[in-house]
Amino acid sequence: MPTRIPVIIDCDTGVDDAMALICGLATDRLDIRAITVVAGNQTLDKTSVNTLNLVDFLGYKVKVSKGADKPLNRELITAEHVHGRSGMGGVKLPESSLRFYEKNAVETIAEEALAAEGQLEIIAVGPLTNIALAILAHPFLKKSIKRITLMGGSIDGGNHTPAAEFNVYVDPEAAQVVMNSGIPIVMVGLEVTEKAYLTKEEIQSLSLWHASDETSKTIKALLENMLEICTMFGYQGAVMHDPLALCYVLDESLIKTKAMAIQVETQGEITRGKTVADRYLVTDRKPNVQVGLEIDRLRFVELIKELLNKYIK
Amino acid sequence: MRKIPVIIDCDPGHDDAIALIIAFGSGVLDIKAVTTCAGNQTPDKTLNNALRVLSFIEKYPIVAQGALEPIMRELMIAPEVHGESGLDGPELPPPSFEPSQKNAGDVILDILRTSDEKITLIPTGPLTNIGILLAAHPEIKQKIERIILMGGAAVGGNWTPGAEFNILVDPEAADIVFKSGIPIVMCGLDVTHKAMIFKDETEKFRRIGNKTGKLVAELLDFFDLFHRKEGFGFAGAPLHDPCAVAYAIDPSIFTSVDYFVEIETKGQHTLGATVVDFKRKYGQKNNVTVVLDLDREKFINLMYSAVKNLT
Repeated sequence: MPTRIPVIIDCDTGVDDAMALICGLATDRLDIRAITVVAGNQTLDKTSVNTLNLVDFLGYKVKVSKGADKPLNRELITAEHVHGRSGMGGVKLPESSLRFYEKNAVETIAEEALAAEGQLEIIAVGPLTNIALAILAHPFLKKSIKRITLMGGSIDGGNHTPAAEFNVYVDPEAAQVVMNSGIPIVMVGLEVTEKAYLTKEEIQSLSLWHASDETSKTIKALLENMLEICTMFGYQGAVMHDPLALCYVLDESLIKTKAMAIQVETQGEITRGKTVADRYLVTDRKPNVQVGLEIDRLRFVELIKELLNKYIK
Repeated sequence: MRKIPVIIDCDPGHDDAIALIIAFGSGVLDIKAVTTCAGNQTPDKTLNNALRVLSFIEKYPIVAQGALEPIMRELMIAPEVHGESGLDGPELPPPSFEPSQKNAGDVILDILRTSDEKITLIPTGPLTNIGILLAAHPEIKQKIERIILMGGAAVGGNWTPGAEFNILVDPEAADIVFKSGIPIVMCGLDVTHKAMIFKDETEKFRRIGNKTGKLVAELLDFFDLFHRKEGFGFAGAPLHDPCAVAYAIDPSIFTSVDYFVEIETKGQHTLGATVVDFKRKYGQKNNVTVVLDLDREKFINLMYSAVKNLT
């Protein structure tokens, strides 16, 4: 068996964050050292409780740490219109009796980076506040985090505004810190995540569709919720933004990337949070980000099916 | 056939010069005036270049100089692309006629006021002149048919990663123009980087046998060098400004989609970006026809026929 990759998943659960966690906990290729939670899709009290409830419900024992409750320099903006009041759409999970890990997200990231001796990867699927704070508070992390694979950004056009993708829009200053940290970055942005959808037919062909255990029913409810919302926004299926970032770490051949120089706009009036790519090499900035440009959707769908099948009792 | 009345506002500039040549050679446009702005080079150089090109092709429209600098920023020029004169490369004699004593804005205003029909504006430089005109005389908008401009980019930029040169030079002017309510056709980098001309095609212009063909080939020789040596890695030279003129002559060569587009005037990395609402998030009325592609061969043929018509 190949070595498992030591990772921290940083998320703002969140419907598609939940799907990413479900996939990440199912695979034996990841060694999830901790899950750190940030405010984004909903407020921190909700995203953190959602995360803890989900981990417990699925029967895993993983540290869950609470992180920042707002962006570095700005007021929090949530995506209640996508993720609902609870942050989990209409999906209800039993209240967990587990406790959050005693250390906060920043300390947890530093602790696990030290323990993993240069091998720790981060999969960040929410606003980058926790990651930026960790880097700022513990500059040694710039050398000791192996890679950050993030869901966020877009080089063509945004989804929260015409210029910006939601996660980067929420905390552009944090994104700018992370992008320029020198840590290898893979940006799984809208260019690929919007193509990472499961159609209604594909969802209904999942083995768990007809299963009646509680886990299958919950995953099914999450998928139905995503399908409904995404269809309303005009997508061809349930868009798996966050699971795609996680799946990239499992199988890099799913996404074709290109090294580009990326800067995050923090001053713009209508371009807040735009990830600006130097497409025509008009600056001498060195590429700092591997930008996802193409995805093999059918293989992605196969991987999701394989991961979800592990929950069939 | 009725000719289309137009005013060309430009900052020659190699591709502006070729745009002027095509405009006069096409036989389709009724060019009421040529006005100049600062951009590719300083304002006196762009004026002189316009006069030299027009003298060379023996066309003598009203020519007037406009604003000497952007609305609220320092002038940025592009000698890297166009050389010290703004038209380095070919030998061009001094102009054989004088520009108007009036300012470009007044010239355009007079023409619009006295015209019975609506007039199309074709700006191929920074939008300073047009922006000031529309802000100072909003009532004149109704006399403008549409504005077909070279500038902007739905994706990427050529002067900074976020912005195209013409918009970056005077984003505030561009903002006025894009918010004016006048129909705008944006020939940005999305199409102009596809409007390539290759070496063998340049030779075709040289072989036409008239002096204008030779001039066009020599302009392209110089323009081509920059685009091959810089990071662009292009296989030819992108004919930015001729796209706007060609669109006025024959829009059927181009493909476009209408969108709501706004100009960023504040950004650190995005100053001068033309932000296209691809997903129609804002639910705003489309204000811009964003040109995205063209039939390149038809475009080169259109240029070729126009150059052949001249001396």
